[in-house]
Amino acid sequence: MWDQILQFVLTGITLGSTYALVALGFAIIYNASDVVNLAQGEFVMLGAMSAISLSAGQGLPLPVAILLAVLITLILGLMLQRFAIAPARGITVVGTIIITIGASIFLRGLALLIWGKDIHALPHFSGESPIRLGGVTLLPQNLWVMGGAAVLVLAVHLFFNRTLLGKAILACSCNRTAAQLVGINVGRMLLVAYGLSALLGAMAGVLVAPITYTSYDAGIMLGLKGFAAAILGGMGNPMGAVAGGLLLGLLESLAAGLISSGYKDAIAFVILLLVLFLRPSGLFGRASAERV
Amino acid sequence: MLLEASGLTKSFGGVTAIADLDFGVPEGLVYAVIGPNGAGKTTLFNIISGIYRPDEGRLNFSGQDLIGRATHQIARLGMSRTFQNLQIFFNMSVLENVMVGCHARARTGLAGALLRLPRMRREEEEIRKWAGEALDFCGLGGLKGRQASELPYGALKRLEIARALAARPRLLLMDEPAAGLNDTETLEMRGLIGRIRDRGITILLVEHNMGLVMQVSDRILVLDYGSRLAEGTPAEVRSNPQVVAAYLGGEVHYAVE
Amino acid sequence: MKRLRGWWLLAALLAALPLIFPGNYYLIVVGASAGLFAILAVGLNLLMGYAGQISLGHAAFFGLGAYASAILTSRHGWNPWLALGAGLVVTGLIAYLIARPVLRLKGHYLAMATLGFGIIVHILLVQTGSLTGGPDGIGEIPPLSLFGWAIDTDGRWYAVIAATLLLVVLLALNLMDSRTGRALRALHGSEVAAGLMGIDTAAAKTSIFVLAALTAGLAGSLFAHQQAFVSPDSFNFFVSIELVTMVVLGGMASTYGAILGAVILTFLPELLVVFEDYEVLIFGAILMLIMIFLPQGIVGGLKDLWQSGHRRRGRPGKGDQDAA
Repeated sequence: MWDQILQFVLTGITLGSTYALVALGFAIIYNASDVVNLAQGEFVMLGAMSAISLSAGQGLPLPVAILLAVLITLILGLMLQRFAIAPARGITVVGTIIITIGASIFLRGLALLIWGKDIHALPHFSGESPIRLGGVTLLPQNLWVMGGAAVLVLAVHLFFNRTLLGKAILACSCNRTAAQLVGINVGRMLLVAYGLSALLGAMAGVLVAPITYTSYDAGIMLGLKGFAAAILGGMGNPMGAVAGGLLLGLLESLAAGLISSGYKDAIAFVILLLVLFLRPSGLFGRASAERV
Repeated sequence: MLLEASGLTKSFGGVTAIADLDFGVPEGLVYAVIGPNGAGKTTLFNIISGIYRPDEGRLNFSGQDLIGRATHQIARLGMSRTFQNLQIFFNMSVLENVMVGCHARARTGLAGALLRLPRMRREEEEIRKWAGEALDFCGLGGLKGRQASELPYGALKRLEIARALAARPRLLLMDEPAAGLNDTETLEMRGLIGRIRDRGITILLVEHNMGLVMQVSDRILVLDYGSRLAEGTPAEVRSNPQVVAAYLGGEVHYAVE
Repeated sequence: MKRLRGWWLLAALLAALPLIFPGNYYLIVVGASAGLFAILAVGLNLLMGYAGQISLGHAAFFGLGAYASAILTSRHGWNPWLALGAGLVVTGLIAYLIARPVLRLKGHYLAMATLGFGIIVHILLVQTGSLTGGPDGIGEIPPLSLFGWAIDTDGRWYAVIAATLLLVVLLALNLMDSRTGRALRALHGSEVAAGLMGIDTAAAKTSIFVLAALTAGLAGSLFAHQQAFVSPDSFNFFVSIELVTMVVLGGMASTYGAILGAVILTFLPELLVVFEDYEVLIFGAILMLIMIFLPQGIVGGLKDLWQSGHRRRGRPGKGDQDAA
């Protein structure tokens, strides 16, 4: 019984690591530009699909394929900011939501065109021989996902707190005008923010693609659940979003295992609604007062 | 006293915006609230109109306790307000803006609206008439059909007043009515305020333009750091040494934002 | 009656079209479908365009109405009209229950809460197989009948849907030109000021939300009988997005705009059939392009053009020479 629960926990942390990266991407963009980028999930999908295409289709060695896939997705992220978000300045909240939804549909359409509706998988990074720890079974890929996510999150944390570029982006999110006044090129900072989010999404996709098959429409649910995770943790707090992601993954896995797997997708949204109704600032976010 | 406050206190985080404030607004007067920036004037307005809830204290309007009431309930007790940064309904026409002001005076609900019963149509005509009167009173009669978004700033200030008057309030809160107006417009505003007072409406006024305040007010409350510094007629306030010090010479006081 | 000029025009158009193009498949079948979505769009427009709220889960109410009718008529033999009424009650009730907590939110949070709601309803429709037939849906839904006439031909459905659309539009026009309608639009203009006019903003938001939901439920019941079959696929997240797109494309705060948006988006896939593989891509591109270049929608954009044309023709004193 405990072994079963532990197994679910393990699956949950793996899943949660993916959600954490997606949620982190949401939080970064939201903090830098007040935009909820509903195309975030598509970055994950594109990263995975490109990697698969490049390695299986083009025969490139896996590390090279992964690198190129992440690069391609990063560029798409930059293009999203530059050509879809930036031109629509001064638009309402509904407007930006619709634009990013449009972008997500567009990217999905692109994927459909290029790769069709089939399901694909990436080869495991270091083999498929299961590792047994007590009563639970792990695949090496699980470790890749968890470890990779941890490294990425740490890198992002250091980036925002120790590098000048990272701090400049934080400045934009706190007070855009003030940032401009001290010479920060806000436009460029936004590009970096989007690029970074796309990178995180793509890495998440690549890391988890060997375990969960991917297809052109794998991005939607991931994006929406990643958003729910970011809200759970607190949109204003990137590390909170990460925590939210892990927590969501855990809850989803436990619920799917112990209650019913059919409703597992609903868990994320029920949590979303509960958080929004009871504590919109999330677990770790700061409640903000509205100025009249 | 139409409006009475005792012991009002409101803090935001670590900053005290209003501290243990007492005052009373007699009916039928123009009562101004002045003070340096950050003295708590707009916060006071927001408390009175129900947007903020004070941490402590009591607030009484014509015998009714205001604390804890929702904004729309307070409005229905007979209080109207204009805003420092315009809250015009830009998605509607000039006339429609003022017709919304009549909302509390009318009755037709959803069913009447959907079915367009004769009673509803009669009420619509009345609302239209009331709104027209308010617009005429404020000198905007010729602009009824225009979209609010087309109006220049000075006219918009008056539109907000017309809208507030359409409700036939007993107390009108005016938040910086002269802000952004040139000398001619300010003179017109002074006349308008006087005409409103002559109609029997009590006015609570927040304003930075000292000339206007001194000319149009019957009594003045001076706030500093969220508490009462002085209160009296314009002549009394003008010659109060503490007020002079707070505004002009002496040390310069700035409340922490 | 100047106010209803547009309505009479619409009625005349709907009546004339089948006479001008008799037996035209596109008109009768796709047109009826467009009409149904127009009903949905008009309702959603009241919520989004006039009252300024957001709902990314509107398809849920469409589905609730459809499934209520489907289950009650095909499984329990209810009279279709009674079932339709029951569907309205269920839809209205659920909308009412969810409205209060959801509408306290604003902006992104409101959007995502409605989205979450929509997805949860969809998952429930798929999962509660014993009640809803699961992913396979419910079939063999008996037809609707009016005064003994069964509404079971395309032509009759066109007539019923057209009539319902006209009714809904009439009610919408009446609503917007009334004290209640102004209160809703004021809500959109400035929620703070609206409250200070004595408008109970929470109650206003709730009532328009419920009204929009009821419109969707009505359309859902009609849909169920028209298709004689319902499945969760017709009420998923994409459909909610499509509905929002119709409202935005046509032009928010314009009832006729919403109809236009519905017509365009219903006929578009027919035109794009040639580009079937590109359909998704094009739809996404359209969404982005409208919001970037024409955020007021088509009708809004036309209105702007009209107003700037007026101004250029030198209308007297743009308001700055008003008498004191």
